Amino acid sequence: MLKQLECSRAIAEVIARCRPEVVCAYPITPQTHIVEGLSELVRDGTLAPCEYINVESETSALSVALGASAAGARAYTATASQGLLHMAEVVYNVSGLGLPVVMTLGNRAVGAPINIWNDHSDAMALKDAGWIQLFARDAQEAVDLHVLAFRLAEELSCPVMVCVDGFVLTHSVEPLDVPAQDDVDAFLPPYRPVQVLDPTDPVSIGAMVGPEAFTEVRYLAHHKQLQALERIPQLAADFRARFGRDSGALLHGYRTGDADTIVVAMGSVTGTIEVAIDELRDAGLAVGAVALCAFRPFPLAALAGALGGAQRVVVVERNLAPGLGGAMASNVRMALRGQPIPVYTAIAGLGGRPVTRASLRRLIEAAHADAVDDLTFVDLDNDAIDRELARWDERRRSGPSAENMLRDARRAR
Amino acid sequence: MTTSLTDCVLALYEEHHELEEYQSGMPRWCNGCGDNAILTAVQRLCRDAELRPEKTVFVSGIGCSSRFPHYMKTYGFHSIHGRALPIAEGVKLARPDLHVFVNTGDGDCCSIGAAHWIHAIRYNMNMTVILHDNQIYGLTKKQASPTSPLGTRSNTTPRGSYLEALNPLTVTLGVQNVSFVAQVVDWIPDLVFDVLSAAYRHQGFSFVRVIQRCPEFQPGLHEIAMREPNRVQVLTHPRGLQLDPSLERVYKNRLEHDPSDLSRARDIASSTDAIPVGILYWNPEVPRYEQIRAPSQLRTPDKIRAGLEAELDKYTIWPDGPTATT
Ligand SMILES: Cc1ncc(C[n+]2csc(CCOP(=O)(O)OP(=O)(O)O)c2C)c(N)n1
Ligand code: SF4
Ligand SMILES: [Mg+2]
Repeated sequence: MLKQLECSRAIAEVIARCRPEVVCAYPITPQTHIVEGLSELVRDGTLAPCEYINVESETSALSVALGASAAGARAYTATASQGLLHMAEVVYNVSGLGLPVVMTLGNRAVGAPINIWNDHSDAMALKDAGWIQLFARDAQEAVDLHVLAFRLAEELSCPVMVCVDGFVLTHSVEPLDVPAQDDVDAFLPPYRPVQVLDPTDPVSIGAMVGPEAFTEVRYLAHHKQLQALERIPQLAADFRARFGRDSGALLHGYRTGDADTIVVAMGSVTGTIEVAIDELRDAGLAVGAVALCAFRPFPLAALAGALGGAQRVVVVERNLAPGLGGAMASNVRMALRGQPIPVYTAIAGLGGRPVTRASLRRLIEAAHADAVDDLTFVDLDNDAIDRELARWDERRRSGPSAENMLRDARRAR
Repeated sequence: MTTSLTDCVLALYEEHHELEEYQSGMPRWCNGCGDNAILTAVQRLCRDAELRPEKTVFVSGIGCSSRFPHYMKTYGFHSIHGRALPIAEGVKLARPDLHVFVNTGDGDCCSIGAAHWIHAIRYNMNMTVILHDNQIYGLTKKQASPTSPLGTRSNTTPRGSYLEALNPLTVTLGVQNVSFVAQVVDWIPDLVFDVLSAAYRHQGFSFVRVIQRCPEFQPGLHEIAMREPNRVQVLTHPRGLQLDPSLERVYKNRLEHDPSDLSRARDIASSTDAIPVGILYWNPEVPRYEQIRAPSQLRTPDKIRAGLEAELDKYTIWPDGPTATT
């Protein structure tokens, strides 16, 4: 049933229907509305039995989830940006121990400079921590992916991070369907942990593993991701059969069939990209798009298939890997290894800068004519950068760049 | 006590700044926010103690209160949630000549930064730490903090918080090497000023908890204490705070407390009858980390020359850019 809801509220409601037994969080924008919603659902008894705990930091939040999960409970947490980085050590621990914790990440830039708006720097910083990472392209998928995430996590004993663009999705209000309790129960069986506290079979968790077995234990993390590559499409099909919509996949293709130029992206920007693709199609350009849903595991084969006939690929990414370009494009190139076609990287929408249809059209048109550089920054204000670089050259003590550039931007306005 | 080279150099010329010269920008706090009162008191302190802006730094974490450095025309560092104290320690180690102030919220200090807080007390570096305790997470819009009173309804505790509030005074007073602990309420501006001045004068880690109003998310929390002055108990002592006669008439609930008495300080900090205001503990004898690490050296002429050069280098301007000197 469709209800006009803020996406964060709908996520809280769907999490409640997944019946976690322990929820722990430390507030951080733009995740706050999700955990506030959950605390309300626990207090009013909608979500029971469940322990909701306000902890004193993100490291504690995920550590509590880790302990709860190790002791056999379905555990959930949510965070964003600096919060994810704060808990980084525990992020690796949860996956290393094979605990099926589910976490929502309200994607937000990572400081400095301080910025609360959307990009994917946080998720990219921990892309290789052994978690499955799913990216929602819209608010409805953000809701649905959580149901899928718990099932996937528990089947594989592997944690899942559901990445939801901060503000753009977390704070959007639109008609959303929160999967009904019966359907969720049918889709997501009660949690049967692989390890429980059993007095007849006591175990210690947290072994020290030396060179003799470390590689093999780590390999298992990779093995689980390979399993996830198979399970995600199957679970998405199950989901479609029960809920009647396409949520979750390795990737979603859009008008890729005969496309010469294909744009690859993740998250909410894919909606704008599809509109731009429609307009360019109307203008006669053979262009298409792929929205990656799974970033870890990275769907090498599925992506190679979707990009099959393309002459070139443009990766639009909301993160910057300084010294390389974008974290996504290098993965996309891996999918196309052996194929001599250009893969252009376009860095866009950092720190919440809107990625407009007009900018995307310009970018795609230029790429379609192979008239872009390998690495481009969409809507970059080159003059502002030149002025700051000049200040660096002029004065050894030119001061902090962020402050300089803010002053400069105010003057220019 | 040794006099630092910086002090010697600075003593060569005098400087006095007006209040406006410490002010920067229009604070973006809500109307009636207690942070405004703290800012005013700190600016007054800077003026009266003749702090040179270029020798003063405010370090904060993240939170409403952590916007503080933006409003001071001194050096400032708006840093990472929970990390203000260790960052301030780094600043102090690199530049012991700076007056270091720390602005931290109850979330910043008592939640995510709690481990640093304990250890910063133990290091006892010379800095003035202001805990802006509004008993709520303000910036993230109303979630209970560890200092929120039991039963606080907030967005993460809709039926009221379950736990007794953490008491920042007893915690601080319980840590090895504690050297200065005071408390004040934002609605008695003169006392905020007096307590902060004493804290600034103390050579060591001065911890001042300011009970700070947040009309936005904790409205009315201190209404009664504001209306009934007897709810505030002023700690006075010849070696501590002495109340101005104008305040004596209003604040009749006073207690003579010798701030060198740690165990009594702990009792006062734990009492729930009234809000103790003033200096709870002061021990100028506790060694500071920087003293322990850098004991005063024998000052040979060579050492003094090298020190002076290093000092003057801090003000060097390279007219032709860095390449001219490197
Ligand atoms: C690692 C990390 N976690 C969470 C946050 C979000 N956050 C910003 S300020 C804050 C709490 C603010 O409360 P407090 O320290 O009491 O300061 P106030 O706003 O009340 O002055 C939180 C949780 C963050 N910035 N970084
Ligand atoms: S929310 Fe509270 S603490 Fe923050 S500025 Fe407003 S009154 Fe002050
Ligand atoms: Mg606070």
